Amino acid sequence: MCDHYTIIFKTCVLILVAIYILYVVKCVFNTHGVHMPKHIVSGLKYLTAVELIREGYSQKEVAEILEMDRSTVSHYLNGRNLSWNSIEIAEKITEFCPKDFLLLTYALMHEKARIIVKTCSNSEFEGIIKESCIGCGLCVDICLMKAIVLNDLKAQIDSDWCCGCLICGESCPTNSIEILEVKK
Amino acid sequence: MISNTKEVKARDFEISRSAEEKRELLYKDDICIGCGICEKTCPVDAIELGSIGAIVRTDADVPKIVCDEDKCVLCGMCSVVCPVDALEFKIDDEDIKNMEEYPSLISSAEINDEICIYCKACETACPREAITIARNLPERSKLVTGEIEIDKETCIDCGICEEMCPADAITMEHKLPTSDDPTVSSDIIVDKDKCVYCLICKKSCPVDAIKAACRTCSYGEYDLNPEDAETTGASFIDQETCVNCGWCQEICPVDAATVVKSFEGELSVDQEKCQACGACVDICPCNVLSFPASSASGMRPEKVMSDENYCIYCGACENVCPVKAIEVKRTDIKHTPTKSKSWDKKMESLKT
Repeated sequence: MCDHYTIIFKTCVLILVAIYILYVVKCVFNTHGVHMPKHIVSGLKYLTAVELIREGYSQKEVAEILEMDRSTVSHYLNGRNLSWNSIEIAEKITEFCPKDFLLLTYALMHEKARIIVKTCSNSEFEGIIKESCIGCGLCVDICLMKAIVLNDLKAQIDSDWCCGCLICGESCPTNSIEILEVKK
Repeated sequence: MISNTKEVKARDFEISRSAEEKRELLYKDDICIGCGICEKTCPVDAIELGSIGAIVRTDADVPKIVCDEDKCVLCGMCSVVCPVDALEFKIDDEDIKNMEEYPSLISSAEINDEICIYCKACETACPREAITIARNLPERSKLVTGEIEIDKETCIDCGICEEMCPADAITMEHKLPTSDDPTVSSDIIVDKDKCVYCLICKKSCPVDAIKAACRTCSYGEYDLNPEDAETTGASFIDQETCVNCGWCQEICPVDAATVVKSFEGELSVDQEKCQACGACVDICPCNVLSFPASSASGMRPEKVMSDENYCIYCGACENVCPVKAIEVKRTDIKHTPTKSKSWDKKMESLKT
């Protein structure tokens, strides 16, 4: 009889402790959660800044492209003001499939995502437009990278900006878009 | 997310895309002839032609075509192939008909005012009431010459001349006689701008009070200026309602009207199959089809008559015929060139 009550008591205590731990963990993660997008953005900007410098842009130009202070760019490049964990996560994001990389980056940074995705993309893509294209311009409007223009009622994809997300092909009413990955 | 919105105003609609570039498709039902070319052309099957025969014959308050805004990709093809411009397509407020890269059907109707004699035959014949002829007739007084005078002393104010005058040129000031002035009229006036010197007043006057002479026959050639006899004016064609059917060109007695049609083809009616229901006659926007006058009262008209001179080969009659007695063939399509292969193919596919 006594044993029975002890078991019930211990179970109750265990449940209460578990609820408390869950609450604490939730609070801790929540505070992190609030700042998480900013950290990821910093990581992505860091990766982009490094890549742009490698491509030969000056710090001033990088600051203009990323719309940041020159001093922040300088800090980034020296590895300051940034947790290494953020860079690690950002690197993982750049390795996502192109559509996920673009959509996540776009959700974080909107228009700025274009230069980040263009610079950090690991592959190059070439768009081939078939003769069946009717020039409806849906792909032009839908492309988050703004890589498509209409020329003589036919879509034209700029390889420099195409990130290979295939969103255009999915929306094309005549299945006229083919995106090929080319070796970098 | 990119999506289309549709605004419906009575039987008209407007579809536009929510994007940086403003694309709009505007449909005007009162211009639509229900030919169904847009339905056949739409690359995404977004357009559906209504029951045209029923709509036209019952004058129903429903649109002739319906466009599914979720399917429409706003490419503009329907607008380009519409033979009557019932569908307008604009990109950033500019009509694609004015854009070089888009093809457009070549058709026109013009009246040359230098040649036009303002007889109004085209205005009467136009099946779409698209033509207005504004004319200024010559002044009647400049086309006749003569003299007229009424001797008011002799005149007995009987009013016979006033009643007889075919040109309404004589007016009497009628009044009741009083003891002060025991006459039935205070004055009689001849309007010389109206008088044509026909001399009926002179001949009918019971007291010979009118002296009149006509000089038109004897001196007309010298007295009259031929320019005064000319009718002047101006012609207007409402390009929105005009369907370039060719009635004005065919009926014009002086060849002042020129019509260019975008489609060439053949219209044939199988008289064996025709049941003379009249659906084609009601739907035809160009009055190409008609029934001959029936031979006797109560007799159904024989078979349907057609004159291809006025046909635009839109195919509305073929669609509406319940017994497939009509065949419309399009053998040639006149359109401006396009570099797009798919558009060129679509334009060519209008040929049957």
